[in-house]
Amino acid sequence: MLRAMLRDLRAHKGRLAMMLAAIVLGVGFMVATWVVSDSTARTAGGGAARTDVAICAQALEPESGFTPAERDRLAALPGVTRTNGVRLGYAALVAADGKLAGVWPDRAGTGWDDSQRFVLADGRAPRAGELALGEQVAAAAGLTVGDTARVILADGSSVRPVVVGLFTYRPLGAEPIPSLAFAGDESAVLLGDRFDRVELATASAADETRLALQVKSIVDGEREVRTGAELTAERERMVADNARSVREVMLVFAAVALVAGMFVIANTFTMLVAQRTRQFALLRAVGASARQVRVAVLTEAAVIGVLGSTVGAVLGVLLGIGALAAFRPEGTTVAYTVSPFGIAAGYLAGVLVTVVSAYGSARRGAAVAPVAALRTDAALPRRALLSRAIVGGVLVVGGVAAVAATSGVDLDNTGRFVSMGGAIAVWLGLVVLAPFLAMAALRPLATLVGWRGGPTAKLAVRNALRDPRRTAATASALTVGLGLVCGFAVVGESFANVAGATTRDQVPAGTTVVQPALDGSRLGPEVVTKVRATPGVAAAVALTRAPVEWAAGDRPLGTTSMSPVDPAAFERVLTMPVVEGSGDLRRGAVVLRGNADLNRLDVGDTLTLTVAPGVTRRVPIVGLYRGWEGQPGIFLDEALVPAEHRGVLEAVYAAGSGARAGLDAAFADRPDILVTDRDGLVERLVKGFELVLAVIYAMFGAALVIAVFGVVNTLALSVLERTREIGVLRALGAGRTFVRRVVRRESIVITCYGGALGLLVGIGVGAVMQHVMLLQPLWPVGVPVPMVAIGVVGMVLVGVLAAVWPARRASRADILAAVATE
Amino acid sequence: MTADTAVRASGLTKVFGSGGARVVALDGVDVTFERGRFAAVMGPSGSGKSTLMHCVAGLERPTDGTVHIGGTELTGLSEQKLTAVRRDRIGFVFQAFNLLPTLSAWENITLPLDLAGKKPDQTYSDAVVDALGLRDRLHHRPAQLSGGQQQRVACARALVTRPDVVFADEPTGALDSRSSAEVLTLLRRCVDEFGATVVMVTHDPRAAERADRVVTLADGRVVA
Ligand SMILES: Nc1ncnc2c1ncn2[C@@H]1O[C@H](COP(=O)(O)OP(=O)(O)O)[C@@H](O)[C@H]1O
Ligand SMILES: [Mg+2]
Repeated sequence: MLRAMLRDLRAHKGRLAMMLAAIVLGVGFMVATWVVSDSTARTAGGGAARTDVAICAQALEPESGFTPAERDRLAALPGVTRTNGVRLGYAALVAADGKLAGVWPDRAGTGWDDSQRFVLADGRAPRAGELALGEQVAAAAGLTVGDTARVILADGSSVRPVVVGLFTYRPLGAEPIPSLAFAGDESAVLLGDRFDRVELATASAADETRLALQVKSIVDGEREVRTGAELTAERERMVADNARSVREVMLVFAAVALVAGMFVIANTFTMLVAQRTRQFALLRAVGASARQVRVAVLTEAAVIGVLGSTVGAVLGVLLGIGALAAFRPEGTTVAYTVSPFGIAAGYLAGVLVTVVSAYGSARRGAAVAPVAALRTDAALPRRALLSRAIVGGVLVVGGVAAVAATSGVDLDNTGRFVSMGGAIAVWLGLVVLAPFLAMAALRPLATLVGWRGGPTAKLAVRNALRDPRRTAATASALTVGLGLVCGFAVVGESFANVAGATTRDQVPAGTTVVQPALDGSRLGPEVVTKVRATPGVAAAVALTRAPVEWAAGDRPLGTTSMSPVDPAAFERVLTMPVVEGSGDLRRGAVVLRGNADLNRLDVGDTLTLTVAPGVTRRVPIVGLYRGWEGQPGIFLDEALVPAEHRGVLEAVYAAGSGARAGLDAAFADRPDILVTDRDGLVERLVKGFELVLAVIYAMFGAALVIAVFGVVNTLALSVLERTREIGVLRALGAGRTFVRRVVRRESIVITCYGGALGLLVGIGVGAVMQHVMLLQPLWPVGVPVPMVAIGVVGMVLVGVLAAVWPARRASRADILAAVATE
Repeated sequence: MTADTAVRASGLTKVFGSGGARVVALDGVDVTFERGRFAAVMGPSGSGKSTLMHCVAGLERPTDGTVHIGGTELTGLSEQKLTAVRRDRIGFVFQAFNLLPTLSAWENITLPLDLAGKKPDQTYSDAVVDALGLRDRLHHRPAQLSGGQQQRVACARALVTRPDVVFADEPTGALDSRSSAEVLTLLRRCVDEFGATVVMVTHDPRAAERADRVVTLADGRVVA
């Protein structure tokens, strides 16, 4: 019996190919994801772990580094065979084009040593006046051995060393990877003489334990002592964590592909089983049990699953390696890693998805009554829709209620959770209700084309309506993809509006802003002095930010961010919109409104802030300011915070009519510093967010591809089922073009329906997301018009593309098929 | 071809396959069907009845020979022209799967006109609908009609374009004896009341009795 079925399968090559393609795509994506994430993590983690460190004494803060004298004291401990002090400091590399190279300069500089940290890839070790660069950074900056590089140091001065070597770096533990190595002695001058850490080597393992204790007794509070083994373990953990987080993001795509693939597979099995109803009935009539039929279908699925997974795994490995090779920065090496675990996961997913999707068909196939063999129109039983209606209805109503109940902008965490949960429930409900929605949307359309439309439109719409469940399922890939993208686009639009509006509120038009050129980097303290001294600057306020533990009375609130500022300069330069209370920082703290709502705080409450280790301050809240979520949670008087704990200097705002010209001139030679104005600030904020959105828009591409797949599959199935009908049409005088057009229109009807639903749901969910994330009112939201336009065009395109092949098949349908009586 | 000849086939030969699998389904068939007459094509199973009908109706290209319908020669016509001939000059009644399930009875009836982009002639189509007793079934879907009613709709559809000839391949094959009789009466009335030309393929001698003329095939040749 099995042999009969396999032979039968071979006879349906087209469908088999489609199903295999779905599995291959899903599994391939998954395995490729694994290869890419493992390899990138391995590459980023550097080569093999270091073996030349037994004990490492590490400063916890950059300020608490080891002096050379302290290093020598550690070196003098008995049993120490080698000592290596590691300096890390600010070093901003200027690329060949005069712009800042894309490495965060904060701890990018180090001193060369002959430990296992550096592996020379080219050239030689640097001497005084020379520099070695990490090979990836050099490639990205367009620098190579023999070039003269410019490096800006912490105090704003520059040096111009010659690049003499390129290296790869083997990090210790979770340390950030430095990419500029100066000569060891010279690094004391350029980066400061303090060591970030001191690495010790010992002759034997026995020494190691004893030494660790000794080092611990010497080294004081703001430093920690770890063994080499601990650090190696930490590094392995970090590499694995990195791989996992890269993988998690990418697996979302693979999962989308697999889920969509599941739909294609299930659909194909439905087709195959529907076609073979009579064959099954015959088998049953001659004595096969229902179980035998079921097992046969499932075995078939497993065979196909294994086949598809094998091809998918091979393809995935190739795809992963190919992608890594293609996107690898020039002149760098990638540690290609193919883990057996990834391949196993791909196999498992592929086979499981296939068997699970085939299960429904197998059951239905086995349920075929033997008498069906005797009928010419043997059909499969259909499931009832009632439970679907109830579940979907409950989800939608409940979800809408949850969102409505939390529509105010003063959301705490529970409110956010309820609101977002409501939106997701509505979305799920709509997916469950999709067949009804399809009917509700397409019936009026059918009536309309029934009156006015030509025969093509009439047939197309009615065909789409024939099996609303199938239509809805087909459209679901589009609905989900477009919904996601639209939702995030709404959030993006809202973010741009909020960021723009609040920045315009807070920063007067003529203000000049000095920021690090690389987002997330910091400014040196000399920048503030320099800004204040620049002619044309009337007043300047430095905005630093530091994490701070806070509590309201006895209620601990965890950690937030504080910005200690000079109240006079702050008031003079910026115009913080205070929505409640006053903005007088001399009398207390001003809290971000969203932050206050989230923690149920109000004006008049007293905060307990741990502004530095062991230093707590009790500060009343004097006002709430309107800002967006990324801004400091608390503004307070800098006098309350010890100078060395005021945090990272993020920006300096300067007032004064001549400030822009003066600062432009003052920082003309500092590619690591950006001088801009209010509009530039807004633009930068929005651009940063757009980068995040770009990733999400890439999902639209994936959704489109998958949607095409799903629609092709369904149309192919429909065309197949309607061979006779198409024959009748052709016999009655419909040309091939007409038949093709009917299929194409049906496809467009389905995709437009799915797309329209996706757009609507996306805008709705996006409205809730921006409400929850940005604490903006639910409505009105800015609708991202270009996104919607692209969506609409995309839908039609998907419809047309997906119909190409099924339409051609339909137009080639045998007319005689309609006439033949078997 | 005289004015009262609706269909003429001469030297019609159809060969399927080649080599060992070669089947001569039609072997030099000469046959004419007169306008306004009800002709039956009979013969044992496999004698070539269906093949003859397909070739004559332009659904299949003959290996050799010519076919004229209402003065137009089909052999050598392009696919598009053939489609137009089928649409405008030929009506079909099939054994089963006659109607498009998504269209109402009325929409099915007017489908050929719809395809041609023509408006139905209201008085004529009313007459056809009334004659076939379909007035109160026009807005039903095929699934809501009995087998006999479906065949009536198919007959109405075949008549509505006033074709040169209506071909019916085993129109009673899937029906019980009462419905069969009804459909035969119907075809008879198409000829008598609307002056249609009907060519019906059947292997049922009782069906052939209702025809004006019987053409008998055996092994791809006309024997009577
Ligand atoms: N598409 C085809 N391919 C090969 N042989 C065919 C095909 N169609 C019909 N035949 C053969 O041609 C002969 C006549 O068939 P047909 O016209 O269907 O006979 P009837 O309708 O009288 O039963 C039969 O032997 C049949 O096997
Ligand atoms: Mg026949």
